[in-house]
Amino acid sequence: MEFAIPSSAYIHIPFCRRRCFYCDFPISVVGDHLNGSNSGTIAHYIDVLCQEICLTHSFGEPLKTVFFGGGTPSLLSAEQLSRVLDVLDRQFGILQDAEISMEVDPGTFDLNQIRSYRSAGVDRVSLGVQSFQPELLSSCGRTHTVENIFESVELIHQAGLQNFSLDLISGLPHQTISQWQHSLETAIALQPRHLSTYDLTIEPTTPFGKQLHPGAKPLPTDETTAEMYRMAQQVLSSAGYEHYEISNYAQPGYQCRHNRVYWENRSFYGFGMGATSYVQGDRFSRPRKTREYYQWVNGWLETGNEEKEAKKTSEISTSEVLLDRLMVGLRLAEGLSLSSLRQEFGRQKIEQVWKCLQPYQRAGWVDILSSDRQSMIINSDLPLEGQMKLTDPEGFLFSNVVLVKLFETFDEDDSARSH
Amino acid sequence: MTDVPVTRIRNFSIIAHIDHGKSTLADRLLQETGTVNSREMKEQFLDNMDLERERGITIKLQAARMNYTAKDGQNYVLNLIDTPGHVDFSYEVSRSLAACEGALLVVDASQGVEAQTLANVYLALENDLEIIPVLNKIDLPGAEPERVRQEIEEVVGLDCSTAILASAKEGIGVPEILESIVQLVPPPPDTVVRPLRALIFDSYYDAYRGVVVYFRVMDGRVKKGDKVRLMASGKEYEIDELGVLSPTQVQVDELHAGEVGYIAASIKAVEDARVGDTITMANKPATEALPGYIEAKPMVFCGMFPTDADQFPDLREALEKLKLNDAALNYEPETSSAMGFGFRCGFLGLLHMEIVQERLEREYDLDLIITAPSVVYKVTTIKGETIFIDNPSKLPDPQHREKIEEPYVQVDIITPETYVGTLMELSQSRRGVFKDMKYLTPGRTTLIYELPLAEVVTDFFDQMKSRSRGYASMEYQIIGYRENALVKLDIMINGDPVDPLATIVHRDKAYGVGRALTEKLKELIPRHQFKIPIQAAIGSKVIASEHIPAIRKDVLAKCYGGDISRKKKLLQKQAKGKKRMKAIGTVDVPQEAFMAVLKLTQE
Repeated sequence: MEFAIPSSAYIHIPFCRRRCFYCDFPISVVGDHLNGSNSGTIAHYIDVLCQEICLTHSFGEPLKTVFFGGGTPSLLSAEQLSRVLDVLDRQFGILQDAEISMEVDPGTFDLNQIRSYRSAGVDRVSLGVQSFQPELLSSCGRTHTVENIFESVELIHQAGLQNFSLDLISGLPHQTISQWQHSLETAIALQPRHLSTYDLTIEPTTPFGKQLHPGAKPLPTDETTAEMYRMAQQVLSSAGYEHYEISNYAQPGYQCRHNRVYWENRSFYGFGMGATSYVQGDRFSRPRKTREYYQWVNGWLETGNEEKEAKKTSEISTSEVLLDRLMVGLRLAEGLSLSSLRQEFGRQKIEQVWKCLQPYQRAGWVDILSSDRQSMIINSDLPLEGQMKLTDPEGFLFSNVVLVKLFETFDEDDSARSH
Repeated sequence: MTDVPVTRIRNFSIIAHIDHGKSTLADRLLQETGTVNSREMKEQFLDNMDLERERGITIKLQAARMNYTAKDGQNYVLNLIDTPGHVDFSYEVSRSLAACEGALLVVDASQGVEAQTLANVYLALENDLEIIPVLNKIDLPGAEPERVRQEIEEVVGLDCSTAILASAKEGIGVPEILESIVQLVPPPPDTVVRPLRALIFDSYYDAYRGVVVYFRVMDGRVKKGDKVRLMASGKEYEIDELGVLSPTQVQVDELHAGEVGYIAASIKAVEDARVGDTITMANKPATEALPGYIEAKPMVFCGMFPTDADQFPDLREALEKLKLNDAALNYEPETSSAMGFGFRCGFLGLLHMEIVQERLEREYDLDLIITAPSVVYKVTTIKGETIFIDNPSKLPDPQHREKIEEPYVQVDIITPETYVGTLMELSQSRRGVFKDMKYLTPGRTTLIYELPLAEVVTDFFDQMKSRSRGYASMEYQIIGYRENALVKLDIMINGDPVDPLATIVHRDKAYGVGRALTEKLKELIPRHQFKIPIQAAIGSKVIASEHIPAIRKDVLAKCYGGDISRKKKLLQKQAKGKKRMKAIGTVDVPQEAFMAVLKLTQE
């Protein structure tokens, strides 16, 4: 199998002032104030991160997108950020018009800092707002206030970063429909180019996971959160935002190019603790604990061997690639192109996919659209061309039901059970 | 193998509660006598099945012949006949004990005597066995050999002044144990001149040699090539292979009275050579079979259905194969409108049922739906006929039946005094009739109740363990049938009655069970795209109902940083779970739901 050369890089900056109650990401808590000891910690991390980048094989294609995620990347100094970008540029090259995104948290940066991020090359920021209700912010463990949000947006504007995104969470404990509506409207008024709205997932290992039971008070009911999802779709669409992915909205021309790489199942580099990469068909997750990540980079440095414990010994099967493609591709509003699916996986496999999806097409969750966005389905038959997609919002809301059906049919892991 | 005079044979078994160290002690005896050298020593040599090693219990018993030079300078042959350690197999235990002249009573010096042990000690006493008490695990900090010694004396009435203090794990006391076996266990009676009678105490199926039968020669002698008859089954076979277990099989030419060994004789299935049957010579048979033979009767029944209907022939084949090796397993085809084709299977008890289920899933790779266990009800119809019902859905309608009787058991529970209250409460709530309470030693009590078997085969054992923090132990025996006001409780999912969920309950408990069961099913059955009513009914009268609301959303909000592997695992798990569900009409029902009746939190 031939693999496309990666031209995107994800960089994980794990530091946070505190851990939010819903968060199960690989992070490292440094406290509310930067001091000698925790700045040393961050500096050391950057050293190791740069080592990892330098050790990584370049396939020769310069980077089109770079994404600093976290954690809280805005806990880095502008110098630290430029250093990472320099190392990336030396190792792979970064295209002149590359999208360089960075996640920032309200209250963690001043005007100087955001300006220097921009001069270092950052041209897109994503602000972790989550909610516009003070009581909801504090009840989910956020460190910032509502005022911080407005100040931060103002700073972003002043720094001339017109391409920015806001993150919101629906389904928080005690959250009501009208609070959600208020958050959506307040967000729109700040005129971001892009908005992400995430329905809260209760992860078992988090403080929320230990206190709350999915579907039970004080969490809103599934009925309510489904309603919130539909509301976001209506409110944001009528404000001119395109619902281009299950949880993402953008003004025309402002979709996140980096994230689209994931949804189109293309390859990408990953650097830093807990980061995943997808290179040469190999998905690899780095150690999720600081010390283990350091050991891993060190081992690589000493032996010259990149030890990928998770590395698959056998070639990954076509069914598995197909499932990956469907799993991420159906997240996009445009769905997947039938002709390219056929080309890649063969007519028979795609007919099988359609057999799984037909009942959901009848239920109104799945559709196939022509280039002028007309449904192309006649008598439930699979057309030759067109985009196979989930409908918005109903198909999106039940996307797991559809995916589980596909996994039941195609997951070979399961059917070839070992004794 | 040298010929050994009867006077220098000692046949013994080990009686112990689970975890009291029987297997470890057996291992040490094998090592100490040089039967197995340390290099070949697998931990717990006698527990052959993986399942046994995992659960730390002995299901199939084994035997081992050891050569031992005692302090008197003489060479002895010691035959250890192991016993299975669970109440479901008490008949097998009794046959093993019948093949011995002595038994080691191994008691954990930090715990004390348990109900199971007591039951087996009584069996040993009935068989006139010499009992050698061994206090094990004396190296543990919590060991109280004096207290336990006193307890054995008071409870069992056994002189414990010479009890051996041992730690099988540390090898302490092992030489003393071997020496006492030689000195205290009587040699078998010398009946070599009588016609052959050998007692079968175990057998297993071997794909190449047919059934391999383990036996003790009680009278006479047996040679390779002899034509033998099994007195209960009446079948005759020529012995292809004769040998002893040391503990691996070693062929010999002849065995005589007092010896323990095995034969292979192209026997097709273990039911042709059942435990307790007597082997004799075909041309010169004994006049009378050895006493005590019983054909094991299944007490607990359940339905087994393949999740995937295509696996039905595989399930049949797997049951046929298991049956070759398990005389107590019964099965016959069962068809249910809800479940399709499957089998109604009978077992000695719950553990036996779990073992068979686990082997079917593990060794034969079958996905099964197992219905809740049922006992055998005795129904008298208005026409005066008596019929036995092992499947609640087959119960005749009320207008056709005169009465229903159900099997009762006597349950003996041994518990620290602290838990007497809560265990009495438990027994009472399971329709138990109090019979007796005995104080064994300060702090330990025996409770005796009569209970419907149906109440015992649910979660009684688990409840007893959890209420007593694991300290209580129990033993039960069947005492006969009793009439009760029983009714059939039907369960309807999405309006359709689901046969395998039907259950027979006492009328007074029907409402409680109905309510608890519908609530439990609501919890266990996943939400669907539509609302699903769940009802419990007696006849046409609905006594409890719940509904599972329709699913409103099922979406992964975030696929963070391209990390799809974790989300993928989630979907894989869901897909796998769904595959293992049974489609009842348009509702997917998970396996656990069919066992829901066992998991009710009843008051």
